[in-house]
Amino acid sequence: MLYTILIVLVLLFLSTIKNLKGSSVWDYLLGINLISTKIIIIIVLFATEMQLDYIIDFAIIYALTGFIGTIFVATFLLNHDKSNQKEEET
Amino acid sequence: MLEIIGYIIVAIGLIFMIIGVVGIYKFNGFYEKILVSSKIDTVGIITIILGLVFINGFNMFSLRLLLLLAIVLLLGPLCTHIIARSAFLGEKGEKGEKGEKSIKKRRKVRKVE
Repeated sequence: MLYTILIVLVLLFLSTIKNLKGSSVWDYLLGINLISTKIIIIIVLFATEMQLDYIIDFAIIYALTGFIGTIFVATFLLNHDKSNQKEEET
Repeated sequence: MLEIIGYIIVAIGLIFMIIGVVGIYKFNGFYEKILVSSKIDTVGIITIILGLVFINGFNMFSLRLLLLLAIVLLLGPLCTHIIARSAFLGEKGEKGEKGEKSIKKRRKVRKVE
């Protein structure tokens, strides 16, 4: 089970190196989203390794906050230009 | 017997994730990348959590795993959709028309970009 954690960790770094080098802001957002889902998998694998029940609750909370965080950042990226344009128009 | 099936499922999930990461390096465009990466996440999470459920047998522990699976399956694709939408509206929609209006126009025109 430990080897799977190592493999997933390597996958995490591999998949986000290209994204974080990306051009637009949304590449970074995609990289962060990838990191958060990989970390959920690592937490779950760790919990089964140690056979501890309460760690899965951490994974649930981390999943919720991680996803909601990227959702808000994405909507912010969309609207923050428009708010400036409205001030210019009026 | 059940554990062996679990380990096989987890192994299959890992193989799919490795292939998916290779896919990320192959595609350069943003929209292809987001397609592949969201596939990796959902496939990885489904297979690994189902495999772990088989490994742990059916008790409270695997019930929590299934709850986590349900939450992630609900939020994961939603999150990548929102990222792709904000990327699409941010880059392409704003140049021509205003973001929201461009979607309405696009629905009428139905042209494939």
